[in-house]
Amino acid sequence: METSDDESLVTSPCRHCHLSSTVDVITQGQTCPGGEVTCSGDGEEVASRAQSHCVDHTTCTLCCGSHDGTHGPIRRSDEDQGAELCLRDDVILTDRISPNMDMEGSKVNRCHQQEGGGHCGGRATGGTDLYLDEPFSQVTSDSDTQEGDLTSDPPVFSDDDAFTELLQLGELNHPAPASATTTHHRHSLQEHSRRPGIIEYFSSRKQRSISQSVPGWKLFGKVPPKQSPSKQARIIQQQSAEISQSSLSSPDFQEFEARQVSGRNSPTHHAAGQQSRRKVEFEPLSTTGLILEDRPPNLPAKSAEETQRHRQQYKEMVAGAKRRELKEAQRKQQQLKERVRQEEEIANAMLVWNQNILPQWDTMRSSRRAQDLWWVGLPPSVRGRVWSHAIGNELNITAELYDIFLCRAKEKWGSVGTAQTADGASADGESSLDLITRDVSRTFPSLCVFQKGGPYHDLLKSILGAYTCYRPDVGYVQGMSSMAAMLILNMDEVEAFVTFSNLMNRPCQLAFCRGDHQLMFRYFRAFQVFFEETLPRLFAHFQSSGLTPDLYLMDWILSLYTKPLPLDVACRVWDVFFRDGEEFLFRTALGILRLHQDVLLHMDLISIAQFLSRLPDEELLSDRLFSCISASVMLSGNRKWSQVLLEQTGC
Amino acid sequence: MAKQYDVLFRLLLLGDSGVGKTCLLCRFTDNEFHPSHISTIGVDFKMKTLVIDGIKVRIQIWDTAGQERYQTITKQYYRRAQGIFLVYDITSERSFQHIMKWASDVDEYAPEKVRKILVGNKSDEVDKRQVATEQGIKLAKAYGMDFFETSAFTNHNITETFTRLAEQVLAANKKDLDLLRMSVNDEINLAALEEEEGLCDSAAGDQGKGCWC
Repeated sequence: METSDDESLVTSPCRHCHLSSTVDVITQGQTCPGGEVTCSGDGEEVASRAQSHCVDHTTCTLCCGSHDGTHGPIRRSDEDQGAELCLRDDVILTDRISPNMDMEGSKVNRCHQQEGGGHCGGRATGGTDLYLDEPFSQVTSDSDTQEGDLTSDPPVFSDDDAFTELLQLGELNHPAPASATTTHHRHSLQEHSRRPGIIEYFSSRKQRSISQSVPGWKLFGKVPPKQSPSKQARIIQQQSAEISQSSLSSPDFQEFEARQVSGRNSPTHHAAGQQSRRKVEFEPLSTTGLILEDRPPNLPAKSAEETQRHRQQYKEMVAGAKRRELKEAQRKQQQLKERVRQEEEIANAMLVWNQNILPQWDTMRSSRRAQDLWWVGLPPSVRGRVWSHAIGNELNITAELYDIFLCRAKEKWGSVGTAQTADGASADGESSLDLITRDVSRTFPSLCVFQKGGPYHDLLKSILGAYTCYRPDVGYVQGMSSMAAMLILNMDEVEAFVTFSNLMNRPCQLAFCRGDHQLMFRYFRAFQVFFEETLPRLFAHFQSSGLTPDLYLMDWILSLYTKPLPLDVACRVWDVFFRDGEEFLFRTALGILRLHQDVLLHMDLISIAQFLSRLPDEELLSDRLFSCISASVMLSGNRKWSQVLLEQTGC
Repeated sequence: MAKQYDVLFRLLLLGDSGVGKTCLLCRFTDNEFHPSHISTIGVDFKMKTLVIDGIKVRIQIWDTAGQERYQTITKQYYRRAQGIFLVYDITSERSFQHIMKWASDVDEYAPEKVRKILVGNKSDEVDKRQVATEQGIKLAKAYGMDFFETSAFTNHNITETFTRLAEQVLAANKKDLDLLRMSVNDEINLAALEEEEGLCDSAAGDQGKGCWC
């Protein structure tokens, strides 16, 4: 951070041309610490600048004098700003290098202040006035405070733009606007949280300086070209642009704007305003400003070392906060970009599905393109059609058939109401219908569409009821409601029934829904083979904790992942399940375990079981899970899932 | 992964689908009530640590699916349990009648020492009551169980029920527990010397696990 700060400051050419006060100061201070300071601080360029300060004092004043002649008070006030900035820079450097500078510092500042006052009455010396005790530290702390303050307001850009505007304004109308400019700049200095902002300001001034004060520029501009710093600056500018984009509307920003407005206006109105007013104006807005303030005069002052240490610590804190903020802003930006990109992708994918794949389903379904598009998730608008195409209808269920079973179910429901209590321990089929009624209302409760009175309540009940009449040998199994609900969310009634019936007819689903113990355990054992192969450490941990796959797989398979995963992620699992078949369900399980492996390795049985029954919904879960899934290849030796599953029969 | 408990119990919730097992559990562990839980598939898990007689008891509660279809699966979990809740719904005569079936399954599959408690849930729904309190008391007596009428909705008797069963399990395992306490003390004394290595907790925890699982 330090480095970049310094570099960014180095890029500010303005200081080279309006250093009158700094230079004055240095001479008044009877020493030439600037040289020392800058030498160790920033390398060549600054060093040469500093030396020139010391040596070319007269030239400098001369140069400034010529400015005055040409541009009047505005220029002066600008210079003051420049000086102030420089002061500040120097302070930073001083801080690091010689604590003794404090003494000089106060002298420096006092004199600087005088000069500021002398140059133009409207100048915003309030800040310095307030902190006469130790103005040096104040200058630093002031801006630093603001940094702390504003770590979350990004809008430097606008600040600087506005400033530049004002600056131009100020040039047109003499003294009063000039002071406004100054004040404003004071603000932008305060808002120094944005170093890039300052840089911007500087770079905007660079041209001005060159064009308007050529001698000054040249005098102090005999420095080696600064390429890398400006590059750095550009990067920072970009970042700051991102930040300002991403959080322009933050409350901090509004506050900042309000402040800015007040900073803009009041000095204009009270151009030659009294000191007291200005004092109020520049009162530190944040209590954190007090941190670096010196002890009251009646108490012993901090030692120089202590002061320096405190400043250093404070700066580190501020730098840390800035880093965090920048990171956060970048992350948000990234997210936004990602979302836009995804939406575009979905729109494109939808076109391809609708125009190329779906019309020639049989030839296209196994094409590379379709398979790839399938993997990233189906666009919601074609999802239902692709699912029903993919599962087919080998049971040859028709709309008429559905109507027949639905009628039967409705009949039964009608009679259940009366028969239920009389014949308590009645047949399983009846209690199935009973269960359906109960379960429909608690299907995806968060969606509020399957609850009684919700738009899909009757629909879900119909499909499940019709299914139990169609397949009394399977009946209703808890878990089916969420599977049927998932279909209803993506297709119409008859299509959902057809797809549901065919889905339940898949061997894996049939085994689990029938509660076929033997078959289920065959699946579990086959899964264990791949589990051990792909995640040996976690497998061993599960084994030693006594966590058998039935404790989590049953839940996952029977709800087809609608229970453990958030709905959108579950949808994507379904997509590929319809592409790859039951194997993918177990591959997903491996993906989930891989994704959470590190956490799971440190849990005991019950925590794991609890964790796995409702997985945490995290950011980008879908993508992260799917990359874990693709990392879990279903190969044990050379054997594929189906082979391994077959082998389990013998056991 | 320090284990901050002395003993570990496994309790099982059994009963027909829809009697409110999951609601009871959520009320007990999280003090929350959601009228529409997703139906339990297979088995769900929760845990909570209670302090009984100064002993930190961590209870794992296995919340099983009520549907008959799942019983072939859930039966295999009975043998892992030290305590079992038999839950019925006071507004459902049928769920009460099924208690006998649940109880006989428990006799068949659960360890002999297992402690049971009878719970009549939804006691707030007075208007719909189909099972009188006396019936519950009578049945509990016949099986030698304690009996509570609870309401997850109003939070009536929830903690009492869970604590009672935990106490009973604790009492039933008193002998083991005394042994455990001694060994725990040993561990603690031992651990005091090796505290820096952080052996204390895990050693005690393993001890607790070793005894009862």
